[in-house]
Amino acid sequence: MQLFLDGIFLGSIYALFAIGFTLVFGILDRLNLAHAAVFTAGALVGIEIVTRFGVPIWLLIPIVLVFGAVLGILIERIAFRPLAGRHDAHFAGLISSIAFGAILLSLLQALYGADTRRFPADAFPSTRVEIFGATVSLLQVIILIISVSLMVVLTWLVAKSKLGRGMRTIAENPHAASVLGLNVGRISSTTFALSSALGAVAGVLFTLNVNAASLGIGNAVELKALAVIVVGGMGSLPGALVGGLILGVTEVLAVNYIGSSWRDMVAFGLLFLILILRPQGLFGARKTREV
Amino acid sequence: MLAEYSSLITLIALTAILAYSFYAVLIAGQLSLAQVGLASLAAFTSALVVPAEPLFGFIPPLVIGIVFGMFVGAIAAFILGLPVIRLRGVFLAIATLAFGEMVRIFLINQSWTNGAQGLSFSKLVGPWIAWIALAGVAYWFWRLSGSRLGRAFAAIREDELAATTMGIDVPRYRMVSFVIAGAVAGLYGVLLAHFSRFADPNEFSFTAAVDGLVTAVVGGVTLFIGPILGSAFLSVLPEVQRVIGVDAGWIRPTISGVLLLVVILFLPGGLSGLIPLRKSTKRLIVDPSIRPSLPSLPAAGSELVNLSGLGKSYGGVHAVQSVDLTVNAGEVLGLIGPNGAGKTTLVNMVTALTPPSTGTGTVLGVPLSATTKAHRLAQAGVARTFQQIKLFNRLSALENVLVGGYRVTKDTLLRRLFFLPSARRAEREAMAMASAQLIRVGLGDKAANAAGDLSYGDQRRLEIARALASHPSLLVLDEPAAGMNHVEAESLSELIRSLAADGIAVLVIEHNVRMMLATCDRIMVLNFGEIIAFGKPGDIARDPRVLEAYLGSSGSDEDADAASALASENLAQVSADRDDAQRGLHADPDPDGVTNPEAN
Amino acid sequence: MRKKLLIAAASGSTLLLALTACSTPAGSDSASDGSLTGTGTGAECVIDSAVPIAAAFSLTGAAAQYGEGQKNALELAVKDLNAVGGVTYELTVEDDATDPKQAIQVFDSFISSGASIIIGPTLSNTAKQTDPIAQDAGVPVLGVSNTAAGITDIGDYIFRDSLTEDAVIPQTVKAAVDKLGVQKVVVMYANDDAFTESGYQAFAAALEDQNVEVADTLTFSKADTDFRALLNKAKQSDADAIIVSGLIDAAVPLVTQAREIGIDTPIIGGNGFNSPALISGAGKAAEGVIVGAAWNSASDNEQNVKFIEDFTATYSSAPDQFAAQAYAGMQIIDQAVRGTCSGERDDIKAGLGDITDVPTVLGDVSLNSNRDVEHDALVQVVEDGQFVILN
Repeated sequence: MQLFLDGIFLGSIYALFAIGFTLVFGILDRLNLAHAAVFTAGALVGIEIVTRFGVPIWLLIPIVLVFGAVLGILIERIAFRPLAGRHDAHFAGLISSIAFGAILLSLLQALYGADTRRFPADAFPSTRVEIFGATVSLLQVIILIISVSLMVVLTWLVAKSKLGRGMRTIAENPHAASVLGLNVGRISSTTFALSSALGAVAGVLFTLNVNAASLGIGNAVELKALAVIVVGGMGSLPGALVGGLILGVTEVLAVNYIGSSWRDMVAFGLLFLILILRPQGLFGARKTREV
Repeated sequence: MLAEYSSLITLIALTAILAYSFYAVLIAGQLSLAQVGLASLAAFTSALVVPAEPLFGFIPPLVIGIVFGMFVGAIAAFILGLPVIRLRGVFLAIATLAFGEMVRIFLINQSWTNGAQGLSFSKLVGPWIAWIALAGVAYWFWRLSGSRLGRAFAAIREDELAATTMGIDVPRYRMVSFVIAGAVAGLYGVLLAHFSRFADPNEFSFTAAVDGLVTAVVGGVTLFIGPILGSAFLSVLPEVQRVIGVDAGWIRPTISGVLLLVVILFLPGGLSGLIPLRKSTKRLIVDPSIRPSLPSLPAAGSELVNLSGLGKSYGGVHAVQSVDLTVNAGEVLGLIGPNGAGKTTLVNMVTALTPPSTGTGTVLGVPLSATTKAHRLAQAGVARTFQQIKLFNRLSALENVLVGGYRVTKDTLLRRLFFLPSARRAEREAMAMASAQLIRVGLGDKAANAAGDLSYGDQRRLEIARALASHPSLLVLDEPAAGMNHVEAESLSELIRSLAADGIAVLVIEHNVRMMLATCDRIMVLNFGEIIAFGKPGDIARDPRVLEAYLGSSGSDEDADAASALASENLAQVSADRDDAQRGLHADPDPDGVTNPEAN
Repeated sequence: MRKKLLIAAASGSTLLLALTACSTPAGSDSASDGSLTGTGTGAECVIDSAVPIAAAFSLTGAAAQYGEGQKNALELAVKDLNAVGGVTYELTVEDDATDPKQAIQVFDSFISSGASIIIGPTLSNTAKQTDPIAQDAGVPVLGVSNTAAGITDIGDYIFRDSLTEDAVIPQTVKAAVDKLGVQKVVVMYANDDAFTESGYQAFAAALEDQNVEVADTLTFSKADTDFRALLNKAKQSDADAIIVSGLIDAAVPLVTQAREIGIDTPIIGGNGFNSPALISGAGKAAEGVIVGAAWNSASDNEQNVKFIEDFTATYSSAPDQFAAQAYAGMQIIDQAVRGTCSGERDDIKAGLGDITDVPTVLGDVSLNSNRDVEHDALVQVVEDGQFVILN
């Protein structure tokens, strides 16, 4: 049980990161590799805000959400929109987001240096809670609750709201969407804003979980998150959540039973298996061929 | 000064070789990031094999390492390719990235690699060797770009489906590009390790893979010299910053990032896009004696297509129901019907792009089943055009047609490497055939234009030229006259008739009923997936069920036009003319001498 | 098209100009006309020209947090030494971006610009690729953070003042056995980093020597920050202590989480734990952690106290072991230069061969015949938020 819970908590953070990826990919068919830098930025800026202004954690989350959203809009404007309509938009978007991410990380280094930063020691109480015979920290539970709620809100947004309908229309056929009068530019910006807002908060939660944030944290999680979105299904929001949790639990189990040196192989082995057996992932939809 | 930059010069060459391994997969449109992992495997396994002394006294250890490393890279790429080759786009990128990480973790846990502490290698590579190796690789890719294989890669990159219908076995070629990339990556791994004297598995990481991709894309994937440009630019950038005096620290990666962003945003096609392309020095070859002799088409009247009860359903929807059909050599069979009648679905089954749900069929001797591959049919002699034009937009008109000639040309890459005269001859023959097709459809003066830049009507004609380039026995045209005016449609009609006269069987889907009545020998009318009429144009024109089908249909503009055409008074006259033409003199069967002069 | 060509031509020529304009940067011809030799020895040594000192550190990239401290410490050391008079040092610090390929180019440019000695690079695995180049060119190298095996074996121009794990860890393990009665341990280490892996090997050997039972060996990745699963597994072994070979980025969360899930047994770490960040980051959880190290931040050695004071005042953060070893490195070089009273490469090399019991912030250090540093290693324990010597 302890293992299972550890895995769930770990997985919920993977899921929160992954869901940003999959949102942009599902709606706009773009892989945004600046997401890792946004994750890191959320963490470092969050630490700065708490350290400088003594803001409590519950207030920090909405602030970081807004910060992340702004970053998302910037990414869309600078790295993706100029490429719209270009025949190599896929490759080019990949690279331009990589470049943007690199710039963002360098600026973070300029502001905060290269050292690992931490939240002030008293930022969060370290109470421990007993659930079904296993001990977990209150912080871990809170992180899980925040992750799941954000994902539920997002799923509702995409499924039920007017914005969500617009997003799903664009996902089906961007050309038709603009012909129908949808403001594709604004919806794209909003999609990126949502995705990056979640990514930035994921950074804060991740850092709270381990109380360490450095320039490289984004990279480490990014690869795992790619595995998550493939396993869960590209473009599927529930898939990202379930995929993240599955990955977290399998990793923890692997560490316990197989051995820790091969732990990362679990993520990638799972990825390979899914790609071969069921390429659309657990929840994804198979794309039909058009003639 | 050269000594000061000896390492930089060597590293530019080595990074360019890595970029070429990415280039090899990118030209075929595959976003594979496995190359760094493959390089890693090659480097470490070569440590087990490279001897300290020359083998047999004279074979240098480095040569053994290179051969072995390239071999390992190719084999590993093949094994990796088997499960991932059918993945596309981002999925392939992620799968190959994951592969790279798996290799890294695997090698770190092995004792023979010394884990994270790495292995030492002897220094066997300096600037000269690195640049000679690079020159070899670049030369190979240069010769690739004018060969049939190179054009096949470009076709797959531009439009996989269209490439398949030209006889290109897409999965096989994708695997070929994978293996080539693996071999080049292996070369890079071995050279790098023996230059820097040391390697540890962490050097071949996700970051390194991304760097390699960036180098290839910055250099550009349209010109063979791209990787060298990309490598030079990215390797020199930090050095330039050092020399100019930019402070060491965060500001350098910022500048590099900004420059990278600028290049990507404003230079589509990368740095090699800055090099002005010589406006196709390829001139059309019009000398008929250069055209090779092609095998003769089947005798007129012989049965090429036989469909029996063929049907296709998607769930409960019957797109096509139980169609019986034959098509003979030298005849023009028209397929008409309101929108959504199932015409394109039927034709997709005939060209093996869609497997049938019921019934059987044979096309040019190839049975239609769930496992029939479209490229096999194409190789048997089927060519087609598409309802939505599927040209290779970034290739020139001439190049499009050259790709179309895939089936009747031989690969010349090996011979090109040695500049053998037989390669040049084969290519001139291919050029001659392609030129003839272009001229035949009236696009001779637009040969050098990019296909995507042509007008709509020209694009339609180009598609036909491309289809004809494969010397097909059966030509399938899906709405070739769409968007054409009266005059254009008429000249298209003449073209189709002359093709039939040459012995090609033509199956045409069209909405321009007037044109169909004038062009076809027989017409089949579909509605809701069923045949409602089949026979000579005259009979079809007078058949009331046909008019009813068009009038009763959901009413697109074309359907309305068709209905009015059918109902018009000229109708009987048109069909009478048509009957006359069939009984009367044929037009010249062989106006351009394209087909075998010995055919009747 | 013409505009593109123009841009291409302009950037191409700028690049070319920049490259060609690089031939000899100012102040580098001192190497050739022998004006780096001076008169007198030791404190009385006077050298007219400034001795060019070059340093290659990772200022950006994965190892940036170590490189920054090294650079700062070196700059402080040069400032302090220049104030003494007689000999002036001119320091150039370059970034290798934690990329061996860049490090190679940096070394190339240092060698041709006439640096008398090269300090660095930050990572051992980079050093294995760059030091041979310096060795071939006859330029001395002083590693201040390279602890892997085989570095000084590269050649007789390669020296280092960073105590290897082999020199530090046996002492640590012995202290744990003697003072804590440790008989059964769980070992955890990052197996994808050269430093921590060699640390593990040193621990494994020392544990065997001391007849300590290793109940379990657990590996993690250097990028890991959530160790709860591993620690829960370690908890099951019911060991007397947990031994960890990891970098500081792993040490802080590991220690914090261990205490969080209720592991009360002692945690013993190697050189990677020796950083003020352990205390500031893990807070109360760091109490009682034992750290084997090459530098004792609490040492009352006069030089050390002043170094810590100045460093903290100048750079607003306390120095770590990387910084201390960099500072000491400059002190050692100064000793070598003044000893032969020459800033020439070969003279410095000879001078470095003579380093015996030289007082530095690390204590009294010597460079042995294998060009490795020798000085007393320490075993520290965290007590009341400070590193103190374990007794």
